[in-house]
Amino acid sequence: MNKLSKLFTEDLSRRRFLAGAGMTAAVAAVAGCGGSSDMSGTTSPIVSPPITDADILNFALNLEYLEAEFYLRAVTGSGLSSTDAGSGAADVTGGAAVSFKTPAIQQYAQEIANHEQEHVRFLRKALGSAAVSRPAIDLTNSFNAAAMAAGIGSAFNPFADENSFLVGAFVFEDVGVTAYHGAAGLLSDKNNLAAAAGILATEAYHAGTIRTLIAELGDPYLGFANKISALRASAGGGAETTLDASHIVAADSNSISYDRTADQVLHIVYLNPASGFVSKGGFFPNGLNGTIKASAS
Amino acid sequence: MEHFDEKKTAIEESGESRSRRSAVLFGSAALAGFALGTKAFAQSAAPTDNDILNFALNLEFLEAQFYTLATTGMTLDQAGISTKGGGGSAGGTVTVKSGAKVPFTTPSLQQFATEIAMDEQNHVKFLQTALGANAIAMPNIDLLNSFNALAAAAGLGATFDPFASETNFLLGAFIFEDVGVTAYQGAAGLLSSKTILDKAVGIHNVEAYHAAGVRTRIFQAGAAAQSASQAIAMTRAKLDGTNNDDIGVSVSGGASTIVDCDSNGMTYARNTTQVLSIVYGGGAAGTGGAFFPSALNGTIK
Repeated sequence: MNKLSKLFTEDLSRRRFLAGAGMTAAVAAVAGCGGSSDMSGTTSPIVSPPITDADILNFALNLEYLEAEFYLRAVTGSGLSSTDAGSGAADVTGGAAVSFKTPAIQQYAQEIANHEQEHVRFLRKALGSAAVSRPAIDLTNSFNAAAMAAGIGSAFNPFADENSFLVGAFVFEDVGVTAYHGAAGLLSDKNNLAAAAGILATEAYHAGTIRTLIAELGDPYLGFANKISALRASAGGGAETTLDASHIVAADSNSISYDRTADQVLHIVYLNPASGFVSKGGFFPNGLNGTIKASAS
Repeated sequence: MEHFDEKKTAIEESGESRSRRSAVLFGSAALAGFALGTKAFAQSAAPTDNDILNFALNLEFLEAQFYTLATTGMTLDQAGISTKGGGGSAGGTVTVKSGAKVPFTTPSLQQFATEIAMDEQNHVKFLQTALGANAIAMPNIDLLNSFNALAAAAGLGATFDPFASETNFLLGAFIFEDVGVTAYQGAAGLLSSKTILDKAVGIHNVEAYHAAGVRTRIFQAGAAAQSASQAIAMTRAKLDGTNNDDIGVSVSGGASTIVDCDSNGMTYARNTTQVLSIVYGGGAAGTGGAFFPSALNGTIK
């Protein structure tokens, strides 16, 4: 009884996080056809595939592929090995070794690249045969489109120099933090939760370092970062903290970091603010791989 | 060298007493389970969400006091933040040098320190509100002898004043931040309420942002600060009994080590016993020491 009610609560939260493809539409349809108050109980229950821990970890794996490709290409010029990308992995467009001038920035970049590669490997291993392969990733047109939408300019190449690289990194890091935060509570297995919490805190460290460095740089890079921040909020929804020397941490008025639903994250990585069904675009031109891939709201 | 060996022995001894204490803890937990009687499954050892939140509140009191003193020279009470328990019991004492305000010379560091102070105050207030009448009062906190003892254990000298300079302040902050991250991570899996878990994860993240900002600045401060951070990290790892779950700031294989994490790119988790051993400086559970000379308040102590 107790366990059942717990499962039910968890399932509800999962739906809220996922607001998944079909689910919201189904709710809307039920509400619409019912007109007034349809409390008779005759409405058939919303049928949706059960979302498993594997679905959520695969959602995370897609985001880790994106981060790993971005950082690895920035520091080495090449991305994940074919083993790490999985069988039948799709192509990656763009990305090049950044010509770093400051040893410290190169060392930060190398560290983050290592971590993102480790996250890919960890999640692939944890998921085993259920792991999705790398989806198609675009690191050229995506940044140009983001720059345009954010009002930074008609094009933006995060691999052009080390300061542009930091702004490129900024695009991802806080999103990773909010995505893992949104997902953490939905995992059923305590071991998965512990792993997710460990990865999430590492992403928060990354975000803290990137935000510290950009705040130190000042304009124009600080201005670019805040335009990206505004774009994330408008494209996907979810709260953001405008970066300056007194606001290194992205958090709410209780000093608790923000979270995002999968829907919000999808709108951001697809760079598509249009409400409703969005299944690809931006950084993932053919969409994510796995069950959580399309927004519904 | 002789000096170093002496300290090493002291650390080893405290490590030994720590494991003895763990054994005692397990013993009492088992006894409690037994005492519950007829039920076949001993469930008594599991802490409640309130127990865990109060454990966190103790740590937030420590952090909030440190940063508030460093940035304003005032204690929480002087700054208008209540240290009373939810039932009205009085908060404990704070042992600290007079004039603790750090002589900041770098505006961006001062701003960052002030931001952290606000965050930690917010965490105290948030947890007090969430716990309501169940909130513990602030325990006695020591920010003077604690740092001296820890510095000695880490081989950094006989005394250490984290309020003396910007670099010392960063190292003082370093001592807390990663511990906060590991403590929240260890606690996350113990929470029953999904709502509370969500909030705890959010605080966990903010502590990681802080830790990153502090560690990045230690990295920028150069070799001396980096090697001090490594000595502190090593001491924390010894105090928690693992000897291998903490890394300081350095460069390894062309990569910085800003993130305190394992080979899977995951931050470490510490259980409450390990966290207690660090903040007590190896002092006995229930008795306390170092930052909490009279132990924590609450059930996990």
